[in-house]
Amino acid sequence: MTASTRVEDARCERPDLGPVLAVDGLQTHFVTKRGTVEAVRGVGFALDPGERLAIVGESGSGKSALALSILGLIEPPGKVVAGTVRLAGQNIEHLPDRAMQRIRGRRIALIYQDAMQALDPVKTIGSQLGEALRLHGGALSRKAARRRAIELLREVEVPKAAQRVDSYPHEYSGGMRQRVVIAMALANEPDVLIADEPTTALDVTTQAQVLGLLDRLVAERRTAVILITHNLALVAEFCDTIAVMYAGRLVEQTSTERLFAAPQHPYAQALLAAMLRSDRLETGPLPSIPGSPPDLVALPTGCAFRARCHVGRSLADCAAIDPPLAAVREEGRVACHHPSEART
Amino acid sequence: MRSSLRFFAMRLAGALSAVLGASIISFVVLRAVPSDPARLILGPHADADQVRALSRSLGLAQSLPEQYWHYISAFVQGDWGYSFTAGASVRSIILSRAGATVELALISFAWAFSAAVVLALLVTYRSRPLLDRIARGVAFAGLGLPQFWLGLLLLLVFSHTLGVFPGPEGRISPSINPPASVSGLYTIDTLLALQPATFFDALWHLALPSFCLSFFSFGFLFRLLRSSLLEMGREPFLLVVRGKGMSRWAAFSRHALPNSFLPTLTASALVFADLLGGSVLVETVFDWPGLGQFVVQSIQRLDYSVVQAFILLSAVAYVVVNLVIDGLYGILDPRIRLGRAQ
Ligand SMILES: Nc1ncnc2c1ncn2[C@@H]1O[C@H](COP(=O)(O)OP(=O)(O)O)[C@@H](O)[C@H]1O
Ligand SMILES: [Mg+2]
Repeated sequence: MTASTRVEDARCERPDLGPVLAVDGLQTHFVTKRGTVEAVRGVGFALDPGERLAIVGESGSGKSALALSILGLIEPPGKVVAGTVRLAGQNIEHLPDRAMQRIRGRRIALIYQDAMQALDPVKTIGSQLGEALRLHGGALSRKAARRRAIELLREVEVPKAAQRVDSYPHEYSGGMRQRVVIAMALANEPDVLIADEPTTALDVTTQAQVLGLLDRLVAERRTAVILITHNLALVAEFCDTIAVMYAGRLVEQTSTERLFAAPQHPYAQALLAAMLRSDRLETGPLPSIPGSPPDLVALPTGCAFRARCHVGRSLADCAAIDPPLAAVREEGRVACHHPSEART
Repeated sequence: MRSSLRFFAMRLAGALSAVLGASIISFVVLRAVPSDPARLILGPHADADQVRALSRSLGLAQSLPEQYWHYISAFVQGDWGYSFTAGASVRSIILSRAGATVELALISFAWAFSAAVVLALLVTYRSRPLLDRIARGVAFAGLGLPQFWLGLLLLLVFSHTLGVFPGPEGRISPSINPPASVSGLYTIDTLLALQPATFFDALWHLALPSFCLSFFSFGFLFRLLRSSLLEMGREPFLLVVRGKGMSRWAAFSRHALPNSFLPTLTASALVFADLLGGSVLVETVFDWPGLGQFVVQSIQRLDYSVVQAFILLSAVAYVVVNLVIDGLYGILDPRIRLGRAQ
């Protein structure tokens, strides 16, 4: 393996190695006054080394809860109630927090949604970058951490890095802050990067720049990426695979090309149609589809998408049984009783 | 650099005008009370000539602006007037009594602040519903209960019935000589004079009144810190820090705590400034020879100069505390650090 090996090569190189991250049957609940919020309802997927997976879904569909569940960062009143998370084959779901601390940031890193608030406002950029390095850097001295922080800032193309390392977050623009967050996440060369809405708070031009940068950095490092977003358009270029999430479950998972060419699940179709509509409108509102997602406290029996579905709204099987995520003709997996009829 | 100088000058001007305003208001309001101090001093049997003569010597016959001018210029020079009820200069009385109030204020604040920090940390870092409910109940009681009532209750239970703490006998047991005054704070002066027995006696006398006085401040600070910490616990940057591999406690103490102290800094300072003014009711209940008690007696006896000096000094104390806090914010919060903007 040379440093210049491309991502694609890395992925085909050793197919026997198995997935770097494998999630199975993950369920996360939040106990609230209103009742139990079933935020993640049995999610499973596998991520190969260097693979890029997008998880797309409306806000509130449980994307962040999924990300935090993988990292063991769900806090009361939330709890991961079932499922496994395997990192290079080892189940890390039941590890004590002390062991997870050695995994977080070093083997699985997180870019959390909301760039504007991802940094501690009263600590310098340099100290926050240095902290990420020193947490896993053995006996890395402050001075060495600072030098490395400046290098990292240069790598994410922050101008005048040597001076700006001593600035505070409020002295950085949103785009620059997100570059810092990216630098922080990649500081310890993780195997997996979970990027939860990494560009949502930014304007369109900055979004493209930040995503381009992320693209370059993870390609250089051959980092596997889970890119979480509610914006389907964002992932077309970036990701190999797309998983569509709805009401706490994956409803379709397939290659990016397949999903854009022939979405199988009615929800995926609706998302795609909404995306194309908003493209035409140029500056339209965020893509949205009619109706609203079900209440995760009181889920209906049967398919969770039924109320908004133009196919299954009045069908008996859709009302009775929640369809499992099953393989469809080797092209991917869909959780729908009538994937072919859904095509219009 | 120039902008920070101008900022400082503006701050100072603001502070001075606040003090000036306080002095004018106190002066005018007290003069508007319909009474004749000279008559009060001399008693009902003095004849009109005597009253008029005393009025003149007290400066009461002059116009209000003249009186104000005399008062303020003397004040700046350290002459805070003469208390005709106490028969001594206001300055000497205030200085002799300030020690008692400051000592009580310091101890009460230390109680209130440390209890608020520890409890707020406990109930937010480890969510402990039962402890949280109890602490909130206590805080609520602290804000609502009348302090003199609490003081009497404490005396009844711990002094009268159980006998573990001294009764309302001031700062020290009547049989013990107070220490030679250096700082005016008995706990410090006794240590300086190497009198451990007296030190513990003074501490023992501080227990009940300081507990009573700290109750309100505790309630106030606890509620603020608790909600601030709870809010901070939801900040995205804490999750990011945890995502870097930091332990929950380290994330809490290195990132959440410093951030949540900022909004409570002003409140803490105001609570402390308020304690420095002395509490009339608590001092009265415990017969604590502090400022509050003295000021109330002076108000009842229409002893203008004492009341005026007290109001003015309170205003100065508030202003100084606020300036100090502004300075602290400048050091602790980079977002408002001077000369760094842009
Ligand atoms: N701390 C929490 N307490 C209670 N409910 C929560 C909490 N965090 C998330 N949820 C609920 O879980 C569901 C999924 O939320 P989230 O994962 O943030 O969605 P997304 O990231 O897709 O927008 C939502 O219904 C949300 O209300
Ligand atoms: Mg989210």
